[in-house]
Amino acid sequence: MGDLDNVLKNAELFDGLSPTELQSIAGISLEKRFRAGETITRQGDEDDHLFVVCEGFVEVSLSGPLPGSDSRAVVHLGRGQIFGEMALVDQGPRSATVRSTADNTVVQAIGRQAFMDLCDRNHHLGYVVMRNMAADLSFKLRHRNLTGR
Amino acid sequence: MPAIYKVSYVVRGEDHPGAILNTDQPPKVGDQVHIGGRQFTVVEVQELIPPREEFHFLHATVRSG
Repeated sequence: MGDLDNVLKNAELFDGLSPTELQSIAGISLEKRFRAGETITRQGDEDDHLFVVCEGFVEVSLSGPLPGSDSRAVVHLGRGQIFGEMALVDQGPRSATVRSTADNTVVQAIGRQAFMDLCDRNHHLGYVVMRNMAADLSFKLRHRNLTGR
Repeated sequence: MPAIYKVSYVVRGEDHPGAILNTDQPPKVGDQVHIGGRQFTVVEVQELIPPREEFHFLHATVRSG
């Protein structure tokens, strides 16, 4: 297995996929690198990529509904975590702003259409990833409940 | 495949969002972790939900310093 396959295998999102299925995911993934402070997604923007954090850290923050309202960090995400999954599932605008908080933060970006095409061709892959995505959203909710934010 | 520990780090005693990340080893009380450019000390570790295959799901409470 290559480095990317190993990176993806260590992300819960892809737990349960076969080596061939992991290679299919690797085939639609694009590596992106960010310095500390760079914005990866901006709340309200139209974008349909899912991101997997391979190295470094990102901060997820939310702004209030009124223009100019303060933003509030809701979680930091490190290795193996995903963000952008809401836009991938519901096709809505970005629900949060995500910034890199560490130099040399590396993420894998997966576009919605390529991912959905893969799910349509391979229902096992689609089931496993969607199941894991639901489990990840559940884990994030548990974390947020524990932080009281 | 070796175990992977998905950890929810929650900061005690301050308004901080905490962090979620995967680690190769389970956190232990007294460990130092870096979150958002700051250093924290682990003060408590619990299983958050039962493990699934090689993934273990933990909750660690940390404090500044």
